[in-house]
Amino acid sequence: MFQGLQFEPVKLPQSSVALRAEVRAFVEGELADDYLRNSDFNAGESAEFSQRLGQRGWIGMTWPKQYGGAERSFLERYVVTEELLAAGAPVGAHWIADRQSGAQLLKFGTEAQRLEYLPRIVRGECYFSIGMSEPDTGSDLASVRTSATRVDGGWLLNGSKIWSSGAHMNHYMIALVRTEPASSNRHAGLSQFIVDLQDPNVTIKGILNLAGDSDFNQVFFDDVFIPDANVIGTPGNGWEQVVSELGYERSGPERFLSAFRVLVEFIREVGASPSEAQLALIGRLMANLITLRRMSISVAAMLEGGKTPITEAALIKDLGNTYERLVPELIRVLAPVAPSTRFKNTLQQCVLHAPSFTLRGGTREILRGVIARGLGLR
Amino acid sequence: MNDQQLITDTVRRILQDKCTHAVVDASEAGDWAADLWQTLEDNGLTLAGISDAIGGTGGELADSLLVIREAASVGAPVPLAETFMAARLCELVGAQMPVGPVTVSNSVLNLKHQADGYRLQGLATDVPFATNCATLVVVASDDAGHSYLCLMPLADIEQQVTRTMAGEPRSAMVIDCLLPKNVVFSADQDLEAQLLHLGAATRSVMMAGAMTSILEQSVRYATERQQFGRPIAQFQAIQQQLAVLAGEVAACQRAADSLNDALASLNRLDIAIAKARISEAVGAATEIAHQVHGAMGYTMEHGLNLRTRRLWCWRDEYGNEGYWQQAIGRFVVSRGAENTWQTVTDAG
Repeated sequence: MFQGLQFEPVKLPQSSVALRAEVRAFVEGELADDYLRNSDFNAGESAEFSQRLGQRGWIGMTWPKQYGGAERSFLERYVVTEELLAAGAPVGAHWIADRQSGAQLLKFGTEAQRLEYLPRIVRGECYFSIGMSEPDTGSDLASVRTSATRVDGGWLLNGSKIWSSGAHMNHYMIALVRTEPASSNRHAGLSQFIVDLQDPNVTIKGILNLAGDSDFNQVFFDDVFIPDANVIGTPGNGWEQVVSELGYERSGPERFLSAFRVLVEFIREVGASPSEAQLALIGRLMANLITLRRMSISVAAMLEGGKTPITEAALIKDLGNTYERLVPELIRVLAPVAPSTRFKNTLQQCVLHAPSFTLRGGTREILRGVIARGLGLR
Repeated sequence: MNDQQLITDTVRRILQDKCTHAVVDASEAGDWAADLWQTLEDNGLTLAGISDAIGGTGGELADSLLVIREAASVGAPVPLAETFMAARLCELVGAQMPVGPVTVSNSVLNLKHQADGYRLQGLATDVPFATNCATLVVVASDDAGHSYLCLMPLADIEQQVTRTMAGEPRSAMVIDCLLPKNVVFSADQDLEAQLLHLGAATRSVMMAGAMTSILEQSVRYATERQQFGRPIAQFQAIQQQLAVLAGEVAACQRAADSLNDALASLNRLDIAIAKARISEAVGAATEIAHQVHGAMGYTMEHGLNLRTRRLWCWRDEYGNEGYWQQAIGRFVVSRGAENTWQTVTDAG
C-alpha cells in the first residue's frame, strides 16, 4: 500500500564470507591494543590506514576496473564497510570520497574527471569534503547562496560552506552552488563544482565541536576560479544530482553502528554474571541492531539492482539514528558503578558526538518528511 | 500470480466478507465466528503449509504464516495460530491432525504411564477459544522428563472462561484424565521449546499484521479527517508522528519476514529477535495510532481498537519483550564481548 516500507529479505553472497574474514584479519593487524576503537565513521582518520586499505582494493571497490575499481558488488562493499565500522577503525579520511564523491563522479562526471580522481581515491590517497550546508542554509538546502558567475573558461566562485568535515585535511570539496539567479523553481539553477581546497583563494577555518575536536570547518571562497573541467554533470542540474545519491548516503551501516563499540564494551564490562536488566538491555539492543542491519542490507540489494530507494534510505537513517542515539543513554544507566577506563572513555566519546548522529546527512525532521511523502501525506 | 499472492488475495477476500467489525464484536459477546472459520477451512487455509500426510493442504510454512498474519490484521476471532501450532506439533510426532479448530495449551502438563494408557494431569490456563474446539493439543512430560504430545478431547472438560483485553475467550481447566494410547505420541525432541517458539513466532507475525493495519488506518484517517480547514495529514506534527509509526512498522515487518525461514529450522535467535523487537514496538506504535485518531479511535465503534487491543495482548503472550531480550542477552554474553559482532553477522 505504501511506497518504501518493504524490505525484502536478502542473503549476502557466498563470496562475502571469505572477504569478511580477510577484512577482519586485516583490521585486527592494523589497530594497536591501546587504540580507542570508535564505530563512528567520522571519529578517526588516518591517511596511512586509508592507503593500506586502498592497497587491498577495498576503496571504490564497486567501480569499473579502468578507474582502478574492483568491479565488486554493492553487497560486497557493504561487508567491507560494516566490518571497518564494527571494528572501530579510523575510516574518516577516505569515507566521503568512497561513499559519495567518487560515486557522483562516476555517475555524472566527465571521462577526464573520472580518470583524474577515481584512481587516486581508490588508492586511498585522495579525500573529499561535502560542500552543501552554508551558514544560512541547513536543512533547506535549496536556499544555498554561494554562487558562481560565468567567466572565460569557467566560473568565479564566492561565498562559503560550513560543517565541512575534514576540509582542513582533504584535497577537494564537491560544492553545491547557485549558478543561475534564484527563480520560482527553487531547485533549478544549482550546480556541483569540484573545488581544489589548496587553492590560495580558498580559506579554511576550523570550528571546534563540543567535544573539543576541530573536525569540521567553514570554507570561504573568495573569487575562486573553477575551470569548466571541474563542473560535475550539467550546470543547473545540481539538485537532481545531489538527490540521486541519497540512497547511498543514508542507508548504509554508518547510520546505526556509530555507538556499536559502546555496546561491545558494555558486554565486556558486565562480565560473566550480568543482572537481568543488563541482559535485557543487551538483548534489546541486539534485536534492534540485527533487524536494522537486515533492512539496510535489503536497501544495499536495491541499490545493486539499480533502484533509487529514497524513502527506504530515509527510514533506515531515522530508525538507525534513533537507535544509535539511544545506545549510550540506555547503557550508562545500567553501567557498573566503577567502570573500567576503557569503558568510560568509549562511552564518553559516544555521548559527546551523539548529537551529530541525528543531524549529519539529513536531520531527523527532514527524514521524517521524506518518509511522510512515501506514505502519501504530502 | 504466485502461490503467495493467490493465498493473500483469497484470505483478504474471505476476511472482507466474513470478518466484518460486527462479526468481531459478536465474538466478543460470545458468538463463535463459525461461518468465518468454516469458509477459511473449506478453502484449505486453516491448514495451509501443513503436509497432506497428516491432513494439511501442503505448501510452505510461509503460507501458514501469511494466512495468520492477514487474519490478525483484521482481528479475526478464530484460533488460526493455535490450529497451526497444533498441526506443526502433530507433524513433528507424526500424528494425524483432527479436522476443525484445534487449540493448544501454553503450559506443559504431567503425564503418567498406566497399564491401559496414560493419565494427563495439570492446570491449563489461558487456552484460546477452547469452548469452540473439540481437541486440545497438549505438550506433556513424564517423570523421566520425556516429551509427549497429547490430543485431548475437550468435550467432558469443565472450563472457566475469561476474556482477554481484546475480548477473546481464554479457558482455564484443571485436567486429570485418562487418555488412550492412540492419542498420545512420544516425541524424540524437546516439544516444550517447540511450543514456546511456535507461540512466539505466530504471535510475532500476528502483531506484524496488525501493526501494518494500524498504520494504514492511521494514514487513511489523517488524510480524511479535517481540522482547521484542512486534512490533519497536512500538519507536520502529524506527518512526523506517522513517519515514526512507519519506521516501527517497517522494522516489525522485516523481523516477521525472517520467520518464514526461521520457523522451518527453528532458529531460536531469529524467533527471539522477532518477538522481542515487535513486542517492543507495540507500545509506541499504538500510542501514535491512537493519538492520530483522537477520541474517535478510543471508541468501541471504531475499528482501530480491534487491532490495538489485540496487540496489547499478543505482546505479552508466549513471552513479552523482556523475556526474549533476556534470552538474547544470555546468548550474546555467553559468546563473549569480542564475539558480539560475529553474532550480528552470523544472524544474516
